[in-house]
Amino acid sequence: MECTVPECKQRQPTELGRKLKRWRPWVQAGFLGVWLAPLGQWLHGIPSCVFHCYSCPLSSFACPIGVMANYAALTPVAFEVPYLLLGVLLFVGAVSGSLACGWACPFGFLQDLLGKIPIRKVSPPAWVGHFRYVVLVGLVILLPLILGFKGIPYGDQIISICRLCPAGALEAGLPTSTQSLMAGTGWPMSWFKTLILVAFFGSALFVNRPWCRIFCPLGGLLALFNRFSLFHLRFKPSECVECNLCRSRCPMGVNVDQKVNVSGCIRCLECSTCGALEPCFAVPKETAKSAPPSQT
Amino acid sequence: MRHVPQPPLVPALRNVERHDFWPGFIAALIGIILTFCGARHLTGVDTVDGGTATETQLVKAFSFDGLQYPDQVAPPPPPRGNDPEALERWARQARNTEAPTWKVRVDTAAKTPCPT
Repeated sequence: MECTVPECKQRQPTELGRKLKRWRPWVQAGFLGVWLAPLGQWLHGIPSCVFHCYSCPLSSFACPIGVMANYAALTPVAFEVPYLLLGVLLFVGAVSGSLACGWACPFGFLQDLLGKIPIRKVSPPAWVGHFRYVVLVGLVILLPLILGFKGIPYGDQIISICRLCPAGALEAGLPTSTQSLMAGTGWPMSWFKTLILVAFFGSALFVNRPWCRIFCPLGGLLALFNRFSLFHLRFKPSECVECNLCRSRCPMGVNVDQKVNVSGCIRCLECSTCGALEPCFAVPKETAKSAPPSQT
Repeated sequence: MRHVPQPPLVPALRNVERHDFWPGFIAALIGIILTFCGARHLTGVDTVDGGTATETQLVKAFSFDGLQYPDQVAPPPPPRGNDPEALERWARQARNTEAPTWKVRVDTAAKTPCPT
């Protein structure tokens, strides 16, 4: 399909879009300082809002997905409501939706860096994003729960999200195995997990953020809040010249020219470069009415 | 950047996707309340030293393989050698040792770096 809008290919990003694009890698790198144990492991009792393995020697917080799976496996023995986990995810989700995925997640940052290697990228269809909810419900909640009812503690479960997770393989398995290899005691990480790690790196070269798009249960969960979160993207019809810069720039392949606050979005804000999609916070209606009209 | 052609859309007819303040605000407020409750919450799980584990201790136990199940608590090994008195004492002790009444407890001192 050829674009019918004149000069659409020459449309340049707005100033805000340029700034956001420039800042994002630095913000992501800055957040590494939060997740990679500047406070030792004091905060391991608190789940974070990003995908980062709690077995990583440098982790500050607990992995929310690992904690969720552990709670599910513990339910048959001792039912506990995970108030902290629910609270953290509800707060982060309600305030910013999946903004943490695009701007704070260390695993997402790694995939962004791998994606910068100039290899022609493949875009999987949007429906594969639903698989994240299969992982969330099946692998993170139901499977540990069922195996827990069979009397198998989470640590002994042969199939679990932690045993299949590429973040765990990279952040915990790889350092431990490298250390072990250098000490001459072999490679303790299983061949299956090593294969998952290799497949992850391979796929990240050809697909933008493959883990986030297809498998990430945390991203799927946070993205559910995109429809009503305080921080959101607003469409300004007056600014839209139908250049489709928004959709062309979206690394996640979301049809942002139709609807932007959807579950496939990681809120990287690349789409806001065109100026027709504006990042903003929801405000109470009274305040919105009393606010002076914008000069722009 | 590969340019994706614009499908036939009319911007004026598109939803502006303005979010209402209150649903997000109320959900965020519930999140804050749950976080504070969770930080002070005492769980129903005991610790190895006889106390009750807080929720942060339980979450920490997940990270460091700190959950202890009854079958993981090994009985004392039999005494070495062929001393019949020692063997008798060990057998009596093993008979008198009651099966643990707890189902799971938290070892707050656990430091296993990778539980899986």
